Amino acid sequence: MKRSIPLAICLIMGITMMIQFFVPHPASVAFFELTAKWVRIIGAFALVLGTGSLVMYHIDKIQRRRTGWYYSIVTLIAAVITTVIGLGWGIKSGSIFQNVIFSNLMVPLNASMFAILAFYMASAAYRAFRARTKEAALLLVAAFIVMLGMVPIGAHVPFFWFMVVVNVALLVVGLVNRSKALLIGAGALVVGLLAWLGFSGFKVPQLMLPDTAEWVLSVPNMAAKRAIQFGVALGGIATALKVILGIERGWLGGGKQ
Amino acid sequence: MKFFHYLLKIDRRIIYLIVGLLVMLPLIKPLGLGVSSGPRAKALFDAIDAVPAGKTILISVDFDPSSMPELYPMLTAVMRHAFAKNLKVLLCGLWVTGAGLADRAATEIPPEFGKKYGEDVVYLGWKAGIDAVILGMGENIKNVFPVDYNGRPLDSMPMMNTVKQLRDIPIVFAISAGTPGYQDWLLYAQSRYGMRVGAGMTAVSAADAYPYLQSGQLTGMLAGMKGGAEYEVLVQKAGYSKAYMPAVAAMDSQSLAHIVILILVIIGNIAYFVTRKRGA
Repeated sequence: MKRSIPLAICLIMGITMMIQFFVPHPASVAFFELTAKWVRIIGAFALVLGTGSLVMYHIDKIQRRRTGWYYSIVTLIAAVITTVIGLGWGIKSGSIFQNVIFSNLMVPLNASMFAILAFYMASAAYRAFRARTKEAALLLVAAFIVMLGMVPIGAHVPFFWFMVVVNVALLVVGLVNRSKALLIGAGALVVGLLAWLGFSGFKVPQLMLPDTAEWVLSVPNMAAKRAIQFGVALGGIATALKVILGIERGWLGGGKQ
Repeated sequence: MKFFHYLLKIDRRIIYLIVGLLVMLPLIKPLGLGVSSGPRAKALFDAIDAVPAGKTILISVDFDPSSMPELYPMLTAVMRHAFAKNLKVLLCGLWVTGAGLADRAATEIPPEFGKKYGEDVVYLGWKAGIDAVILGMGENIKNVFPVDYNGRPLDSMPMMNTVKQLRDIPIVFAISAGTPGYQDWLLYAQSRYGMRVGAGMTAVSAADAYPYLQSGQLTGMLAGMKGGAEYEVLVQKAGYSKAYMPAVAAMDSQSLAHIVILILVIIGNIAYFVTRKRGA
């Protein structure tokens, strides 16, 4: 009973809402508006549950003196102060909540946290971004094109000269490591660049890095993303059908039948 | 040899210092590299520019303060464009932590153009439910938001007499730092109510939007701070605003930050290959 009622609600509502989507009759629209209200109300309850769960988790962490338990005290104090100020004096423009808690605490703290990422990324890229394999080298070149192409300085870099530099790097690394694959790659790139130069009447082609970055994002990136999104969408439809038909019951949680 | 080993083990604080200095210097003394507008920003600009005066555009502020430096400039630039074109702006948000940011924009930008709250701009605030909120707005905005962010009834605002549901709004510009965001507007507002959707997003998530651009679902896109800078330039070139352009000002720093990361990666690779060769 504990499971069969939710399963029945899920089945009936799932099928009804699927049909409703294709029926523009006023009764169907009114029904949709009603269910949309229900969803928002349930969403509000989920917020209450989420807050309760957060408080219980941190109280438990403090009681058991788990690693970093003192941070939980800060979290709870911050939650209480924010709630008291928000409920007591409101969240309107110019309120204490807006001026002090949001603008002078949350905004600078959050922005600083995110800004620190630039430093970590620079350090991590320096230590870990290595052209160890062919795939990694390809990724490195694509990353260079997109990173430079997405900032104004990239507009001053012709793609041709960029590839000449890449070619020299390939050649040097190939010679130092005596890697046949890299030397063959460098040779092929030389042929390609010379052919490109020939087709352009021996004038350096005017294709700039932002154009190349746009191509990288619009063609190979988009093909991969689209494939992933198709997969995700089909997976989503399959999962939704399994939930509606009661095959997938993970959402019911544990407990007895 | 020792030198290359030293390079591989360089103290991370030295890297932090180099990055910090190179990001700060152009903010103090700009390099003036200039920003040119790409086709994605131009498409969004043209779409908003084509909206007839007096109509309302919707801006969904779906980001929080952590993405504010990257995304807030595009919010202000699009609002300036809209007000200069005598469009009305309806603001809402799907991120509770971003509610204050939209409020700040709704307070700061309209007075620059002599626009009044309630007549030319309304900020609805945030409501739980995400997709249900969008779908609900599609049927009746006042059902979902009977009052605005500051608790004033929507019925008391002249602007809301002409905007009842999403079909009354020609375009939504969703500025997203993740989920929920522009994809929800595409899924629900566009597929069900036929709204045009333009998107702004962090540079790191721009790659995800390309399939939607190619399919024509997204009208235009502003990717990261550069997208904001491109829009600021478009607005200023069209003579709509002479306001300070924060994204343009920050682009020199971003250029140098990218270059320093690339140089670090190149140095790291050289050191790696030389030491690997000697080691072998």
